Amino acid sequence: MRGDKWRMRLLARLALVGWFGLALLVLAVLARHREQAPVAPVQPIDFPHTVHADRLKLACTFCHTFADRSSRAGVPPLATCMACHRSIAVERPEVRKLRGHVERREPVVWQRVHRLPDHVHFTHKRHVRAGVDCSACHGAVAKMERTKRVRPLTMGWCVTCHRARGAPTDCATCHR
Amino acid sequence: MDRRTFLHMLGLVTGTAALSACSSEKEQNRLISYLVPPEEGVIPGEALWHPGTCTECPAGCGMQVRLRDRWPVKAEGVPDHPVSAGGLCVRGQASLWRLYHPQRLKGPLLREGGEFRAISWDEAYARILAALDEARGTGRRSIYLAGRTTGSLAALLGESCAALELERLPEFELFCHAALRQANALLFGQGEVPHYRTDQADALFTLGADLLETFVTPVDFARQFANRAGRPGRRWWHAEPHFSLTGANADLRLPLRPGSEPHLLAWLLRRLADGGRRSLPAATVAALPDVTLSAAASATGLSPGELEELAAGLSRAQEPLVLTGGGATGGEGGLAAAMLAGLLQWTLGATGKSVDFTRTENYAGVGSLLDLERLAGQLERGEAGVLFVARANPVFHAPVAWNFAGRLRGATLRVGLGDFFDETLREMDLVLPLSHSLESWGDVEPRRGVRGLIRPAVLPLHDTRSEGDILLELRRRSGAAVPGNYQEHLFGEWRRRYDTHTLRSFVDRGFVEEPVTAPPVVLNARGATAFLRGLRLSPPSEPPMLVVAPSIRRFDGRSRPLQLLEDIPDPLTTVSYGAWVSISATDAALLRLAESDELRLSIGHWSAVLPVKVQPGLPAGVCVVQRDLLEANPGGADPRTGEALCHLDGLRLEKTGKRVDLPVLAGSSSQHGRGIIPDPAHRKEEYKRASLYPEHTHPEHRWAMAIDLALCIGCGACAAACYVENNVPVTGAKDHLRGREMSWLRIEPFYDVPGGVEFIPMLCQHCHYAPCEPVCPVYAAYHNPEGLNVQVYNRCIGTRYCSHNCPYKVRRFNWWSHRWEKPLDRMRNPDLSTRTRGMMEKCTFCIQRIRAAKDKAKDHGRPVRDGEVVTACAQSCPTGAIIFGDLNDSSSRVARLVRSERAYQVFAQLGTEPSVWYLMKKVRGEG
Repeated sequence: MRGDKWRMRLLARLALVGWFGLALLVLAVLARHREQAPVAPVQPIDFPHTVHADRLKLACTFCHTFADRSSRAGVPPLATCMACHRSIAVERPEVRKLRGHVERREPVVWQRVHRLPDHVHFTHKRHVRAGVDCSACHGAVAKMERTKRVRPLTMGWCVTCHRARGAPTDCATCHR
Repeated sequence: MDRRTFLHMLGLVTGTAALSACSSEKEQNRLISYLVPPEEGVIPGEALWHPGTCTECPAGCGMQVRLRDRWPVKAEGVPDHPVSAGGLCVRGQASLWRLYHPQRLKGPLLREGGEFRAISWDEAYARILAALDEARGTGRRSIYLAGRTTGSLAALLGESCAALELERLPEFELFCHAALRQANALLFGQGEVPHYRTDQADALFTLGADLLETFVTPVDFARQFANRAGRPGRRWWHAEPHFSLTGANADLRLPLRPGSEPHLLAWLLRRLADGGRRSLPAATVAALPDVTLSAAASATGLSPGELEELAAGLSRAQEPLVLTGGGATGGEGGLAAAMLAGLLQWTLGATGKSVDFTRTENYAGVGSLLDLERLAGQLERGEAGVLFVARANPVFHAPVAWNFAGRLRGATLRVGLGDFFDETLREMDLVLPLSHSLESWGDVEPRRGVRGLIRPAVLPLHDTRSEGDILLELRRRSGAAVPGNYQEHLFGEWRRRYDTHTLRSFVDRGFVEEPVTAPPVVLNARGATAFLRGLRLSPPSEPPMLVVAPSIRRFDGRSRPLQLLEDIPDPLTTVSYGAWVSISATDAALLRLAESDELRLSIGHWSAVLPVKVQPGLPAGVCVVQRDLLEANPGGADPRTGEALCHLDGLRLEKTGKRVDLPVLAGSSSQHGRGIIPDPAHRKEEYKRASLYPEHTHPEHRWAMAIDLALCIGCGACAAACYVENNVPVTGAKDHLRGREMSWLRIEPFYDVPGGVEFIPMLCQHCHYAPCEPVCPVYAAYHNPEGLNVQVYNRCIGTRYCSHNCPYKVRRFNWWSHRWEKPLDRMRNPDLSTRTRGMMEKCTFCIQRIRAAKDKAKDHGRPVRDGEVVTACAQSCPTGAIIFGDLNDSSSRVARLVRSERAYQVFAQLGTEPSVWYLMKKVRGEG
């Protein structure tokens, strides 16, 4: 009788430890396979900022037209691309891809490089109008063959700059 | 807890923890390009406003919608609109729910057997045309019955009915004001609902007309109420059998026995006819029913003193106005009441001034229940061919005794046009889904000379059409040459009516005012005398009786599908979900009923079982049910006017012995002397502050709000606006019963004044010394430099300490992640963070609007102007009771109001120093 009780207790404890162990294992596997946003994702069209922003010296707002007018800089509409590429470099493979999208009337699904969490209400307009250079957050995009994230975009990083420039650091500036 | 439960819990907790860790960012990483740039003036990520007209009820208030990324997310009033002047009611605010409702009809449906199956529009049109031909061949008449239709659609409907050989019935509205129109036709030759200007009257006596709830243009009347308030020497009496929001806001509410209205008015007319502005012919006065003061008092149940005071007040006044309607004209004596009130208006000099026959409310095409009865007869006799029912619910509104649903089977094909399945559409053979007014072009003419625009703000969400398009398509398919679509037809009409400049302004502002010529208004004394000679006053109703009242939340029942309107409680009872019957405290004691006990109400063959809500101030023997809460119309129609009977005799009450859970949101009907509304005396206890914390400073702005209780009518428009603006989740009855409602702003009714009620909107007070802030272990609730009490959602860990420490009980906890069923999620305002399970939320003073105003000011390099930040609640308020602004700017409106001697703060003795100041109805010691 006594032995049975002991055995039962041992089993119960083992089950408990086993359960937690299993849970930890599952969490570890999930964490390992959890998709991290890549720093420099592969894009459906290999768009070279080097050509447009560096060699041709186009201003950022030439294509990202809303950067100084809206909270969002805006990924350019394909019509903006086609304004030039109807006649320029039409035979390049990447431009052909672009034309394909336009002809099929199918938007390009780009991979986001700079993403802020939903609870951050960032506005491009205020930053651009305050004279913050695009490269302050986006890095030297003009030199990038493939756009990559160079800044951490964490709150600490934001606040450091806000403090340095005397910008508001009230929580409600970004969170609401 | 035993071991078994412990293990259950353990499994659950670890399991959910693991599951909640499984999220993917993959979806959020997509960045989809536009193909073509947005049209000129549209900036992605910035709001765009589209003016238009609200179509939730026939009033036709101006309504503009805010678009974010092409989806309408918020409705607001159009400032300086001739009907609504910037306000929007609770139903107007909720009208976006109609657009996005998951249960909207999504395509044409055909009944086969007992089931509906989806068909194409082509098939629907073909079936209708074939049935029309067949009906023509067999000599049956095809019939078109619509809800109230005005503007270009009314004209097109007339043309189309002629072209398609349809008989166009008078339009159907439950609140058809037929008695008023009939009386005005008899008296002045104007069969119209006049435009009443109650704000011009210094002595106003309203009889039955529920001005602030559903009567003709409630938002307009609310604005007029605000214009009247605060002007000295103005008095408003309201007489009604039950207790309505209108009565609650009158200076003096006279509870009278229903059916006694003609007695009262006849006495008043006799009493006032001598000293009137316009004298009535002696023959007319002689023909008046002989009602003495004591007879009037015994019929109405009012004291002779009250009646004399009313008469004296009206005769003393410069601009007296007597107005009847609503429940007072919805009964056997309805026409008599309307006639006598018309004569009173004439003799008191109101006709032509505060009773305006120039810009009349447009009820030209509206019939009454009598027309429905005629239709029922036609159907019964097998004379009807195809029957169209558009935007109307006759099955719900026809008296039960008529068996209207059964008689509908007399038509060869029943075609229903609407947006939700209702009692009528369920009886149809063919259901054609209509586009929402935000998906289609159109115009309305709610009042003569006022044309409101209906303009698409969004592409149709489903395979729906506008009624105009359906009519034109039917005509085209039957071989007529018609414009391509309704939009072209409309623009053709508009170009004919307006020059380019007016048309431009019509499309930009959402309304246009056209000149109207004043018709001659002359009293037909002979007709009036003849009517009075034939008039026999019937005795008033005997208690117990049932009063069927209109509903501020759901009008005549048409707004029932909008769940938001269920989440916002009824203003007087604070019942949110479900149906109930209001009874007086005396009756409750007599029948030994407690709240939520079920009561069986029966009249003749009709009966309903409803839970009880005790309504303070309700006279004994009167039971009140809102029309939309009943499954069918228990009454009949007045045979003279065709109005639905609003009070029914012979009510039998029976306790069933069962109880129902009724969500009553008010914790108490009394404020227990806590001075929330400090009347008669405001408690001024000094609070001695001792604090170790540094004082808050507000270097730039200090946002504050003033709420004028003299203007608050308790309508709940602010609460609805707050829900929509701030993505406040609509939770449902189950949560409400547990006290887990999420509304950031509630209106508390307190019944401490004998026979009356006072309302106070309660929202986060943004205390200067907020009790919620120091108890937060994670600094989620903190005080910001602009005086806001901010809740940082992503910091919040859900301890709920803040809510426990809040004396105003305005914080709301997310017990779970509330979901918006598709496509309702389109309505969510992207300017706010999404709150998920375990987060505390509350009023933010519309921080996103503050930020938007500051952003705009910064663009122009100037400080924020007073009045530039308007919170959603303040914007919607039809009476303008809520004022928001910067306290640092001593010239701002809010700063001036805060200095007013009427200003006080709730629970000032606690030392919380709220940023919300309430303005008392009157200063202590005054009148």
